[in-house]
Amino acid sequence: MILAADPLYGGDLLGDILITLLKAGVAFTFLLVAVMLMIWFERKLISDMQNRIGPNIAGPWGIFQTLADGIKLFFKEDLVPENADRFVFKLAPYLALVPAFLVFAIVPLGGDFNRKDGSDGVVSIFGHDTFLQVADPPMGILFFLAMSSIAIYGIMLAGWGSGSKYPLLGAVRASAQMISYEAALGLAIAAVVLQTGSLSTHDMVIDQAAGGYGGIIPNWNIVVTGFVPFFVFFIAGTAELNRPPFDLVEAEQELVGGFHTEYSSIRFALFFLAEFMNTITMSAIMVLLFLGGPAGPALFFPEGWWIGTFWFFLKLMAFLFTFVWFRATLPRFRYDQLMDLGWKVLIPISLAWFLLLAGLRLGDDRDWTYNETLAFMVGCIITFALLGGLLIGAINTARAERVREEADRG
Amino acid sequence: MTEVVVFCVAAALALVGALGVVVSKNPVHSALFLIQTLMGVAVLFVLQEAHFLAAVQVVVYAGAIVILFLFVIMLLGVDKAEDFAVEPIAGQRPLAAVVGGALLAIGLTVMVVAVDGSTGTSATFDPQTGQPAETALDSIGADGQPITDIERIGRVLFSDYALAFEITAALLTIAVIGAVVLTRTVSRGERLDDLEPASFDLPPVAPHDNQPDHDSAGESGA
Amino acid sequence: MLGQYLPLLALFVLAAAFAAGSFIASGLLAPRDPSAAKRAAYECGIVPTRETPERFPVRFFLVAMIFIVFDIEIIFFYPYAVAYGGLGVFGLVVIMVFSFAVFESFVYLIGNGALEWGPLKQVAGPAGAVSVQRTTGTTVRRVGLEDRGYAEGVGTEDADDTDEEAA
Repeated sequence: MILAADPLYGGDLLGDILITLLKAGVAFTFLLVAVMLMIWFERKLISDMQNRIGPNIAGPWGIFQTLADGIKLFFKEDLVPENADRFVFKLAPYLALVPAFLVFAIVPLGGDFNRKDGSDGVVSIFGHDTFLQVADPPMGILFFLAMSSIAIYGIMLAGWGSGSKYPLLGAVRASAQMISYEAALGLAIAAVVLQTGSLSTHDMVIDQAAGGYGGIIPNWNIVVTGFVPFFVFFIAGTAELNRPPFDLVEAEQELVGGFHTEYSSIRFALFFLAEFMNTITMSAIMVLLFLGGPAGPALFFPEGWWIGTFWFFLKLMAFLFTFVWFRATLPRFRYDQLMDLGWKVLIPISLAWFLLLAGLRLGDDRDWTYNETLAFMVGCIITFALLGGLLIGAINTARAERVREEADRG
Repeated sequence: MTEVVVFCVAAALALVGALGVVVSKNPVHSALFLIQTLMGVAVLFVLQEAHFLAAVQVVVYAGAIVILFLFVIMLLGVDKAEDFAVEPIAGQRPLAAVVGGALLAIGLTVMVVAVDGSTGTSATFDPQTGQPAETALDSIGADGQPITDIERIGRVLFSDYALAFEITAALLTIAVIGAVVLTRTVSRGERLDDLEPASFDLPPVAPHDNQPDHDSAGESGA
Repeated sequence: MLGQYLPLLALFVLAAAFAAGSFIASGLLAPRDPSAAKRAAYECGIVPTRETPERFPVRFFLVAMIFIVFDIEIIFFYPYAVAYGGLGVFGLVVIMVFSFAVFESFVYLIGNGALEWGPLKQVAGPAGAVSVQRTTGTTVRRVGLEDRGYAEGVGTEDADDTDEEAA
């Protein structure tokens, strides 16, 4: 197992610190600009799909609309409701915003992974060798899970800190939704970790940059892990972001503004910013986990780190487009449908798939014969079918029990 | 040098958080201070090169257990500030002082007496030579690369400690059963109050005036 | 190894500084004109007359408890995923027994209705809600399409006569 580490640290301290600050600063600026453009992109794309024009006044094609809105929000009055817990009310936007920034740090953004000379993705900035990602902590993708867990606090404390019952109800429902889908998220990531053999994000890119099947299909995890973990992660990620079709807790028709009803001006702007930033980072994580991150053929580019960056952004745009597409087309899930999907569908499927993958990979490593592998797969499928039947039976029993109770009472 | 600084900062964070948990008048503030303590402990884990445990600390403890605490606090409505001058049970404070003092004394005694082997060196000693013994957990793997902490955990957990692991599974099952039993009588027959009404009428099919499309991106700052 | 976390600290400081800076800027730029109406809790314009005693469903508490259990279980999968190679079939059997225990408790949970979120009465809606006559063509009137080459008669009166009798 490679203990992959960013080769930056270990040299002279001043150079390390400066390069670190440079990378962090670039990522920070990039994220802010990307969020600005993402909001514009969403409004423009939705308006296209709804056959209207969208923002077109502030700047060419309305690109500065987000900036204008942000600046407008600075000038709005900042209201703190009288029943609010002032400390928690003011803390909540920080808890929503900071994890959104931090997750982006572990995502590899570029680098040339095609060279077979062992210099996987290492670039040289001012003479220091480093990866084109802000950080490569040994816990890797678990850092993403940790930050997802912290992001829940932003919403929950916002709702509670507002001191009124609609935000609290919205916040509790949003938190319940987010924790329900985090389990499925964790299982899908476990399937990818099974394939990679390491938690480090850099290792994941190296693993997926290796040659694929017949040289044509790349070794991306979406193919290698079967498509199921990808779909589970996609759906769970969309629910985790509170994005349509899972945006019940922010729906205006339901609970006014949900957890951010009482927030005005810049505090509201920070929540909004955090939501779109989370969208971008979740897409980046999906690209990293399943689509190979910056890995991609050189095509017509000369060799260099920009190959990786080009491919990364191409894949990222695909996901951002899909998220906006969902918003424009799909109707909203009802809350109970949402929770049922998260608990009763995604968790059993991802659990079963993880076990199947584990067995198959073990068979691959230990060179089981074809018959042994087939026997294992058939055994698994039969067992999972039986257990799935048990689960469906349990669901029906519970439902019948409720109907019976309702009939008894009513 | 940096390790000492990081240790001091993390330890201070953890201690201040712990103090805050006990001293806060508002239970929600206590929960937030608890998160601060857990973050401090996570940093201490990182200092000990236990990166996986640090992540698990945040994911499970700060990301699930404290959320449960907050749910309970919000659900039970005990989120109002307490008045510490009122003592519900008589004799609590002297008893707390006695027990706390006793625990402190025991802890200090253990620390002072058990100095040998508590310096963080290898936990297994070869009885003959008194030197750290070679364990199955080598720190260098087959390919000459150092093994990550998570892999070392994985290697022992599912082989040497498989029984303990399965007992943990039984423990978690018991926890689930306990959760269901505890909430059973309350949840039966409880009216759902956050879903759609029992009936609705469809609008007539004749074309009606459409609402103007509103920008659905939600840019509606107050 | 500790150096790997330095960029995270740097980004954390930058993010926190950005948020703090925004608040300071807002404090300088925004007007401050509080009134009783503005500070009251928002309730769609209705003035809250009394504090309704809230009785939150206990389902949320259950979800949080069960999530802890499942989170721990999922965390156990990660060391296995990293170290499955050296563990062989024995390790596979261990994790399968563990998963089976997890699944067993999950089935018990669902069978007892702990994760029942659905409405007690499954509402089917008025009869004729979903029928062949009700399409987007007959229920939605498209505005402004007259000069865009769409066929006349889409969403116009002739199509509606069939729906009057079905509704």
